[in-house]
Formats: sequence, C-alpha cells, structure tokens
Amino acid sequence: MPDEGNKPVRGFALEGVTVRFGRVEALKDLNLSVEPGEQAAVIGASGAGKSTLFNVLTRNVPLAAGRVTVGGRDLFAMPARELKAVRRQVGLVHQAYNLIPQLSVGMNAALGEIGSMSNLRLIKTLLLGPDAGLTARVSGALDRLGLGEQIRTRTADVSGGQQQRAAVARLLVQSPGLVLADEPFAAVDPVTTDRVIETLAELNREGATLLINLHDVEVARRFPRVVALREGGVVFDGPPEQLTEERLGEIYAGETPGSVERGPEDPEVSGGVTPRKQDPARRLEGRDGLPAR
Amino acid sequence: MASPHAEGRPGKEIGGAIPRFSWKSSLVILVVLGATGWSVVGTGFNLLELLTSGDPVGRFLSGMFPPDLSGAALQATGTGIMETFQMSLLGAIIGSIVAFPLAALGTRQNVLVGSSRTYRALLSIPYHLSRFLTNVFRSVPDILWALIFVVALGLGPFPGTLALAVHSAGVLGKLYGETLEAVPSRPVNALHSTGASGLGLFLFGRLPQAMSGFTSLTLYMWESNIRSATILGFVGAGGIGQQILVSMQLFNYSRLATLVAATVVLVLLVDRLSAAIRKRLVN
Repeated sequence: MPDEGNKPVRGFALEGVTVRFGRVEALKDLNLSVEPGEQAAVIGASGAGKSTLFNVLTRNVPLAAGRVTVGGRDLFAMPARELKAVRRQVGLVHQAYNLIPQLSVGMNAALGEIGSMSNLRLIKTLLLGPDAGLTARVSGALDRLGLGEQIRTRTADVSGGQQQRAAVARLLVQSPGLVLADEPFAAVDPVTTDRVIETLAELNREGATLLINLHDVEVARRFPRVVALREGGVVFDGPPEQLTEERLGEIYAGETPGSVERGPEDPEVSGGVTPRKQDPARRLEGRDGLPAR
Repeated sequence: MASPHAEGRPGKEIGGAIPRFSWKSSLVILVVLGATGWSVVGTGFNLLELLTSGDPVGRFLSGMFPPDLSGAALQATGTGIMETFQMSLLGAIIGSIVAFPLAALGTRQNVLVGSSRTYRALLSIPYHLSRFLTNVFRSVPDILWALIFVVALGLGPFPGTLALAVHSAGVLGKLYGETLEAVPSRPVNALHSTGASGLGLFLFGRLPQAMSGFTSLTLYMWESNIRSATILGFVGAGGIGQQILVSMQLFNYSRLATLVAATVVLVLLVDRLSAAIRKRLVN
C-alpha cells in the first residue's frame, strides 16, 4: 500500500519534451497527455521514440527540454524521496520480462513490493522470505495467472511464457496506478497473451491508467485511443477508426505496417504468433466473458 | 567471377599468414631482440653454466633419491601439508568475508537521472574508499604481507594466514565488485524503476545474479592461496615452506624430495577438487 502523503499517480502529461542521445533527437517537442484511468496504445516504426517515451515516464533519461508531470507533479523536479514514491506506483511490463532468473518465481512476484520495503524488511525478506501478508498476495497473484504451482521454482527453469506471467504477477503485487507495458506480447504464446490482457484489463478496471507499446497495428486498433510516433513526435492521436491506410503509410513510411520490429527472440513464438485473433480492447472493457468484478 | 575491373589490374597475391615486410615490423623485431639481449646480459643468463656445473646439480639431484620416508620425515611433511591446507582455506574464507562489504560498497550505484552534483559526489565517497582499500590489499604481494605480519606477530602460521587473508580480500574485493557490476542490468534497472532503494537493488537485483560467480571466484582464490601458502614459510610464516627451507639449509635433500612431492600432490588435489566444484556450479 502506498505511504501516507502519496497522492495516487495515474494520469500524466508531456509538454514540449525533447530527449537527445548525443546528436540524435529521440523525442522532439513531444506533447501528450493521458487522463487517469485511460487506455492508450502507442505505435510507430522502430526508432520512432516509443521506448524513449517510456524511459521518460520513469525518469530514466534526462530531458533536453520540456516538462513531464505525473499525477500533477513535475517528475524531473521532484526530490529523490518523492520520485521513489511515484515510481512505486508505476508498474512496468517488458518484452524481456526483466526478472531475476536465480530467484524463485514467488520471490520475483514479491519484488513488486520492493519499492515500499524498509531496509529492515528487505533484510528480513532476504533471510526469511516474504512475510505472511505479502506471501498471501503473491500466491493470490500467481494463482490468478495459473502459476500457483511454480511459486518455489527457480525463474530460470520456467518457460518464457511463464516468466512473462511471473512479471505480470509482480505487477499485480505492486498494484500500480499507472501501467507501462512495453511490447508485452512480442515474445509470448497466445495463452500468455490472453492472461496478460485479462490482468491488464482488471488493473484498468480497478482504476489504473494503461499505456501500451505495440508493434502490431491490428492489436493497437482495438484500444480506444491510439497514439502514433514518428521521428520523436506525435503524428497521430485519436480513435482507431481515424487510422486510415494512408495515415499508416505516413506513420510507417519505409517500413511495412504491423511488421515485427524486433524479430521474435523466443523460440516459442517462431512463426510470429501475434494475438490477432483476440480482442484486447473488448476484453479490456470487460465484455468478453471476463468475470465481472 | 572476376569483374572486368579486377581483370584490368595485375593480380595481387594474397600472401601467407605471416605479416609482410615493413619498416614498422622490422623495427619492432629489432627492439624485441635488443631488449632480450639486454636482459640476458643483465641477469647473467647462461645455460652453459647449468650444464658445466654438473657436479653440484648432480649432487643435489642424487641427494634427493631415495626420498626420505622415515617416520619423522613423514610426520614433518604431514604437519606441513596440513598447516598449508589450513592456512590457504582460512585465508580464502576470511578474505571473502572481508571482500564482500568492500565489493558491495565498491559497486557503482544506480544514480537517479537529474540528481544533484553534491548528491552524486556524496554517493561516490564509499565507492572510492573501498576501491582504494582493495587496491592496497591487492597490489602488495602476499609474501610481503607475510613479512610485515611476521615482524609484527612473530614466526608461525598465524601471520601467514593473515597475509593470505589480506591479499585475498584485495583480490576478491576487486573481482566480486567486477562481478556485481557485470550482472545483466535490465532486471536491476526494472527494480530501480519501481522505486527500489540502493539496498533493495543490491540484495535482490545484483547479489542473486552474482552469487554463483562469487562462489567460483572464492574457490579459485583458495587454489591460488594453496600455491602461495607453500612459499610463505620461506619468510617464517608457517606452512610446508618452512620445512622446505629448513631441509635446504641442512642439505637434507632426501627429506626435501618428500616435502616437494607432497606439495605437488596437495596443489594438484586442491586444483582438481576446486575445478570439479566449479564445474558443477556452472552446470
């Protein structure tokens, strides 16, 4: 649970944001604002700035110009303590899972809480494992993702799809107000994609804002709002119906729309399994046979 | 298929794998030859002397056979071997215990983007302090540490063990630190991005990923210590080296043969054992 004095972090706004890596401008005078509880998909060719956008929202790259507000507060002006409080409420899902392979699946899920642990509790957790309350939340999250059996298994010993579900379990334990998902379906099987979508939908229904990077335009179309980046700027921002072929041509000039930017690294997805047959947006809206809350 | 362009030119030979003649390579060869000659003169290196002074060498070698296998010799050898083993093990263990916090402090922290200069400078104080200490521990050879401790504490295996511990702490502190810094950083950064503190990142991000490396390095240190421990006795710091030195000074070459053979066996055994454990760790 967030500490006292922590306002919930959900919406964010970028005003005139420029990010430079050497002489390359990864983001150029970018303006984007996402309201609390909104869902938005981000598309764009490789090098368009999608990942940099995510790195800006976690303050992992310095700004050359502009302002970023998260939950109404200036992200880059806040002191370290406040930044930590904000980061606790920002959940990340990556294509590369980013779990600690040597730890058990359960411990990786428990690390969703690491941002709120005192030093004493960190050491206790290291020596004795998570306390009863956290353990209950971890096993609940793993059960929801069908990983209850793997709670004590070394993460390196489970499949890629199970690792991605473990990463989502970590997200559930963290219970963030803002979810940043960076290509979460790029390297996983359809079953995992299903589970990930369901879980993100539940978090969204509980009030979390969702920003998701997608390389697959067809999947992105199923979100109520699509933001397209090109050369570090927003070139499209609106409902998917307005995303015409012509527009797509502009967005992906020089690339095939919907092509896989980074080839599937996981042998499980050889053949480029993408969740075309599913309907994330409808699922996200909870109309697709999901248990009503 | 040759292009018309290439056909027009006289065919260039590819040549062998040895670099072609050039002024630069000739100069390098001349410099190496010169330095070799200078070193030969400087060290009085003369293989002929080894061959012509057959008498003392022959006496030394023939004196070693047969090796002394008397009860007293075997007992002295056993004591020496055991002491050497104990020194090397304890040195590696204490070294690794001391090295651990040094490495933890000597690992670069994840710094917040946009944090102030003063904050960064403050953060780097323990880093530089621990790096300095490990460098001092490591750059003084263990035999020098042994001399220092023998002067301070007197003769025996205790100063030798301390010397090994200090040197091991330096070597392991550096290697542990490098292992911690080399772990895959993305999972660590992911934890950092969800608000983990420095201690949290270390305990749950870097440490689990570095642990098997630590074990392997510590075993390697033990191997290296057993070799060092055999000569620390020459400066009075215990172990089989002390027995070797005494046998040499008494011209007791047959006992020397037993001691040297036992040392070789010990070193080989520890090398094998450590290598086997490390191999299992990797798999």
